This record gives sequence, structure tokens and C-alpha cells, in this order.
Amino acid sequence: MSDSIAIQDAEVKRFRPPESGAPFNAVEDIIYRRRSVRSYLKKQVPEYIVQRILETGRFAPSSGNVQTWKFIVVQDQKIIKNMEDIIVKLFKRIMKFTDYIKSGSKRKEWFAKVLMRVMPNSFHPVPFWGIKTIANGKMGIWHGAPTVILILADMRAPGHPPVDIGIAGQNMVLAAHSFGLGTCWVSFCTTPLNMDRKWKKRMGIKYPYKLVTSIALGYPRGIPDGYIPRETHAADWYSEDGSFKIIY
Amino acid sequence: MPEFLTRKDRKNTENFNKIGEDIILGEVSINHETCSGCGLCIPVCVVKALEIVDKKARMVTDLPFCFSCGDCVAICPENSINITKFFRLKRSFRFLDRGQPEPPRRF
Repeated sequence: MSDSIAIQDAEVKRFRPPESGAPFNAVEDIIYRRRSVRSYLKKQVPEYIVQRILETGRFAPSSGNVQTWKFIVVQDQKIIKNMEDIIVKLFKRIMKFTDYIKSGSKRKEWFAKVLMRVMPNSFHPVPFWGIKTIANGKMGIWHGAPTVILILADMRAPGHPPVDIGIAGQNMVLAAHSFGLGTCWVSFCTTPLNMDRKWKKRMGIKYPYKLVTSIALGYPRGIPDGYIPRETHAADWYSEDGSFKIIY
Repeated sequence: MPEFLTRKDRKNTENFNKIGEDIILGEVSINHETCSGCGLCIPVCVVKALEIVDKKARMVTDLPFCFSCGDCVAICPENSINITKFFRLKRSFRFLDRGQPEPPRRF
């Protein structure tokens, strides 16, 4: 028995976990310093860099190794503008029925609250405010990023295709930040664009493909990456000795 | 133990007319001694909650819908911005199982 533990210990030496309290390694550092970038320079990202970023998405893990993603790189500012117009148009229409803030309309308030309960993901208070500010024209969708990567999922894939999209996308985002580029996840676009038949025809999107999310990519203004404080989350922990604890 | 919502809680959604009560907005403090007024934090703020007045950044007075993302903290070259209050929801969308705010920790 002790022999096998000794063998196991020798085996464990192959791995290189950090010492307790050791400084962050390069990957951890990129993860912790990644901030969403919402202010970009006009300079276009070269094609080879975008390809290098897409390549990291290609090697993401996916359910059943089906690699469910499809990327659409949009560097044509006209198409980006057109997409933004579609989104703003829909959000303005939504706000006509739901913008009770300050106006005090009881009917709109009732409708907004029904939407909050029926579609809690789309009408969570934070995106609700986002929809309002986008409709007002105070907030851009892709914040003037010169490149937009739309990520589509093949909806026939096993498991939950949007999860695989998230995994591939985060690979790409972290790779981009390691090059000093800025990115921002933008999912405000999905519902309006998936509803727009004309746009879908223009971009050649139809079943089984479905727009899941998008990433804004570009050179950031200033140096946006850095450490910030953030609330800790409770994690339940069932220990080896059968005890239970909650860690933060 | 994990927190849950009761059925009654779920019906009771946040009201935007009760900001400060249903919705606790985030807040940042800006050290005006070190702030150089470079203005990098202004476009970075997604909800446009910051403005420059007299060459110093400050939070707008008219409903700064800050959800404490920390982008302004990270971009500030003088490190003069600090999050003093974190965004919180109090009713059906309230965050569950949260602890104290911390920067990335090394265990």
C-alpha cells in the first residue's frame, strides 16, 4: 500500500501546480486582468491576428467533439452599422410599451413587470436598463469596435450548443487580451438579429445555424486591463472526511 | 446553506422608480488629488455614469446606473478610482450566495 502511494507521489511530480501563495502565472494573469473594453481606436485589426484568435476558438473543447461553432467576422463598417440600426429599431419599439421609468405610466409598468417575469433573462433589470439606453442612443452596441465576430451555433449539436459557444468564445477573448487587444461580449444583438429575416438572408444564416453571441474586437483606448475587486461567491464544499463547509 | 427565493419573492420584481430601495446602484469614489482629468474613464463607462467637471472626473448626479463592473477602476492610469458600493438588487432578481468583495486572491 505504502509502495503504491510512493509511486503515486512520484507520478504527481510530473504536474506543476504552483506553491501556495505563489504569484499568478501568465494564464491566470490574463484571466484576472481581462476587462470588457467599451472604447476602441478606429485602427482595424490585421487579418492574421483575427485568424490567430479564431484558431484558439477552433481548439476549444466541445460536447462530443462536434465543434458546433461557426464564426462570422465582420469588418465591413456598413454591415455593423446596419446591424446596429436593426437592434436600435427593435429596442425603440420595445421601449414604447415598457418605458415606465420617470413617466410613471402604470400600464407600461405592468407590461414591463410581466416581461420581467416571463422573460427574466432578457428583461433582467440590468439589460432592461441597457435596452433603454440603447433605444435612447446613449449606448452603442459594439462600442465602435472595428471588428465584430458573430458566433453561430449549429443547433443540432449534442448537449447545449450555446455552452460550447461560450467555451470557444472565451478562448478567443483571452487570446485577444494576451495580444493586448480589447474585446467585449455582446449578446444584445442575438434576439433582434435572429428575428430579422432580411438580415439573415443577407448573411446567409438559416437552420441549423443560429446566432448565439458576438464579440467586439479592436485596439483599446488606454490600457483597460487591470485587477479589480469583485464580490466573492459561496461554494459548497463536501470534504473527503464527509464534512461540509461553505467557502468564499 | 444556499439561499433561495420564495414564491412570493419571485413575484415581487424590482421597480425602477424605487432606485435606492429595490435597486442599490454601484458607486465609485474618485480621489480628486490624484485625478489628472485625462478622461479615459468617461467612454469606458458603459452606462455613462462618469463625467469631467473642472478637469476632474466625478459621477453624474442624474441617476448613474453603475453596476460596479470596475472598468473605470482598471483603466485609471493614476489609480484614483475605487469602488465604494457594489450594485445590488433587492427583490426577485437579487444576487444569491455572495460574500465580501475581494481583488483576485492568491491561495
